[in-house]
Amino acid sequence: MDNVRFNFPAPEIDETVEALRMEVRQFLREEIQNGGFVPVTDCWCAGVDLEFSRKLGAKGWIGITWPRQYGGGEMSALHRYVITEELLAAGAPVHAHWIADRQSGPLILSTGTEAMKRNILPRIAAGDCFVALGLSEPESGSDLASVRTRARKVDGGWEITGTKLWSSGAQHCQYMTVLARTGDWDPDKRHEGLTQFLVPLDSHGVSVRGIRDMSGVEHFNESHFDRVMVPDDAVLGQVGEGWKQITSELALERSGPERFLSTFVSVERAIQQAAPSMQGRQAVVLGGILARIRALRAMSQGVAALIGEGCSPDVEAALVKDLGTRLEQDVIERLREFWPIVLKQGYGDELQYLMSDSLLRQPSFTLRGGTNEVLKGIIARGIGLR
Amino acid sequence: MEQTDQLILDTAHRLFSELSGAEVVNGAELGEKPEQLRQAILECGLTLAWVPEEAGGVGGSLALGFNLIRMASSFALPVALADTLVANLLLARSGLEVSDRWAALAYDGGDLPVLVQGEVNGVVENASGAVESGFLVVPVIEKGEVRIATFVPSTIDMEHRESLAGEARTRVILRSAIPGQLSEPVNDMTEDGLRQFCALVRASQVAGALEKMGEVTVAYVKERSQFGRPLGKFQAIQHKVADIAGESALTTAAVEQAVRSLSSHSEAFHGDSVVFMAVATAKVVASEAAGKVCRDAHQAHGAMGFSFEYPLQQYSRRVWCWREEFGSEFYWSERLGMAVANELVAQGGDPAPGNAWDIVSR
Ligand SMILES: Cc1cc2nc3c(=O)[nH]c(=O)nc-3n(C[C@H](O)[C@H](O)[C@H](O)COP(=O)(O)OP(=O)(O)OC[C@H]3O[C@@H](n4cnc5c(N)ncnc54)[C@H](O)[C@@H]3O)c2cc1C
Repeated sequence: MDNVRFNFPAPEIDETVEALRMEVRQFLREEIQNGGFVPVTDCWCAGVDLEFSRKLGAKGWIGITWPRQYGGGEMSALHRYVITEELLAAGAPVHAHWIADRQSGPLILSTGTEAMKRNILPRIAAGDCFVALGLSEPESGSDLASVRTRARKVDGGWEITGTKLWSSGAQHCQYMTVLARTGDWDPDKRHEGLTQFLVPLDSHGVSVRGIRDMSGVEHFNESHFDRVMVPDDAVLGQVGEGWKQITSELALERSGPERFLSTFVSVERAIQQAAPSMQGRQAVVLGGILARIRALRAMSQGVAALIGEGCSPDVEAALVKDLGTRLEQDVIERLREFWPIVLKQGYGDELQYLMSDSLLRQPSFTLRGGTNEVLKGIIARGIGLR
Repeated sequence: MEQTDQLILDTAHRLFSELSGAEVVNGAELGEKPEQLRQAILECGLTLAWVPEEAGGVGGSLALGFNLIRMASSFALPVALADTLVANLLLARSGLEVSDRWAALAYDGGDLPVLVQGEVNGVVENASGAVESGFLVVPVIEKGEVRIATFVPSTIDMEHRESLAGEARTRVILRSAIPGQLSEPVNDMTEDGLRQFCALVRASQVAGALEKMGEVTVAYVKERSQFGRPLGKFQAIQHKVADIAGESALTTAAVEQAVRSLSSHSEAFHGDSVVFMAVATAKVVASEAAGKVCRDAHQAHGAMGFSFEYPLQQYSRRVWCWREEFGSEFYWSERLGMAVANELVAQGGDPAPGNAWDIVSR
């Protein structure tokens, strides 16, 4: 049985990739020194700084793989990988543009109209335009195919009605990709009749309300769509093909470095603080964390290389996310041995701040983008058990 | 992979499939020596995979040897092919003659026996392989330089012991022992480089065995039914299998990366700092994974997996042993943590964001 044996080929790291890494690193050091940003944990979900996103856009570091005519840099997936991992390792405030760069931009590129590509992609690449994901609903979480938001065909377009829940960062976004039911509900064909739309959030009938999360940040949102009119060309791809699109979208977003580096800033700070007196048990714990992070990085880069070779390593990507998100949580549990977490903030102690914030955000790591139980189901199916 | 490499791996696979197997492995532990298998491996030249052609070997790449080791352990091969591969490579590197018999490696990651004025003193706690039938290859140290010595078993004191898996782990006691052959100091070979290389060998063995344990478990839970359905239909079991796949895949990724790192370094036994980091990563992850996979695989198998006849135990007992040898996850974690801390301190200056990332992302 071959499907429980995995291979992770070496990423092709040439000198342009390494040069880019150094450039990004230098930029980030200067930004931190100049007070451009203060490192935060879980920065790709909690660090919002529109000005910083624009700076990255000006550098050409958003949408770097896209065609030049749409504002991209026509570089490889590995160039993007290096940018994203350096941003995460530094705890840079990248949440505003993260989803658009990772997911919505590529989705528009593969399924959008020419007008969308011309109008929207260059603005995303400039760090001026952000996109939220409208998948989950009050009654649809893991069972995403059960969404109740409806799009009804009307003259000149579609009319959308429903509620989307938990959409990250929607309050900063100009658009949301909305998964809606366009065909009749058939319990035997639950994955059919779903369509994705690109909806401008300033459309008449849209209201977006921030929801405070347990870490105190108003990070996700509840959005209501009350008979919102969108034109025919707001459809992403084919009517009725929405399910196929999101599942392939999700496969690609599962194995990136944000699935194991969300709490790395805490590790970084802890090691530097402990270094002068490091010994024994503390070295075992910190070294053990680093080993696992390094191994996950090798695996994640291997998945990127497989995608680059034209394979679709769905199971491998799900494995990265399952292992990586649990590690992000585990890291904080292990560091607690030396730095107990009591206070809500650091009160001047940076490591305490990063750790308490990591702990408060930690439950979300194994939920967002599909829970680990759902991922394990995907893995089991890939292995032939379902 | 080069074509000749693939050819050798295919040959090995055929040979292992024909001449080894669950019964042969259990038989070996109960005293039926797998002579046919041992002979065939020698005849195919598999033990010489890492020996250069000019020294009479196959001249295979490091990657070839590590792949061969992974494959052998996925058969729980009841012969110490991995250790003999290393022993023969040491002979070749040190300029000693390589034999076409089974060479036993008398090195376990502990302090090397000391050479003074032609005599060797020291104890190797766990020498592996068929010590009695071949000859011993012993790395020794003299004034900080590593040399390779060989001994004929009949000339030295040995206590025969067995590993958890019933494989030979012999205590070799060298008291003013005079080597049969003794090399010059080996260029670019350090004691720690040797330890790293062997740790990666064990990590590769764990990787091969864990892959097999995953396969065996998947096959079992598909076949065995309870409550009217195959075990694999129960979500609790599916999640265990997914965990096994994850730990196994992570080990594979770490091992492959370490092999690449070692291969891109000109001297395999030098012990360079980048290679060190890759090897430490691989051995930590492999040793951690060994325990987790054993637990999940046995749980999914019920009592059947606990029986001697069923082959799962051949793998679990081996990986429990391999995870300790040449440094456990605790040993390599500590070294990795210390190495990063020491480098940070050596850089001096105030802590600056990114300094640790810079080291671990190499
Ligand atoms: C920080 C954060 C950001 C998010 N951002 C977005 C966003 O931008 N856009 C968006 O659309 N959504 C977003 N989400 C929502 C996210 O996709 C959902 O939380 C997730 O899909 C799970 O759905 P749920 O929360 O309704 O949990 P439920 O589906 O109700 O699950 C609850 C528990 O039951 C388990 N469970 C459910 N079904 C099964 C099953 N069949 N077998 C075993 N266990 C099962 C789950 O694994 C989980 O442990 C975000 C969530 C978080 C935490």
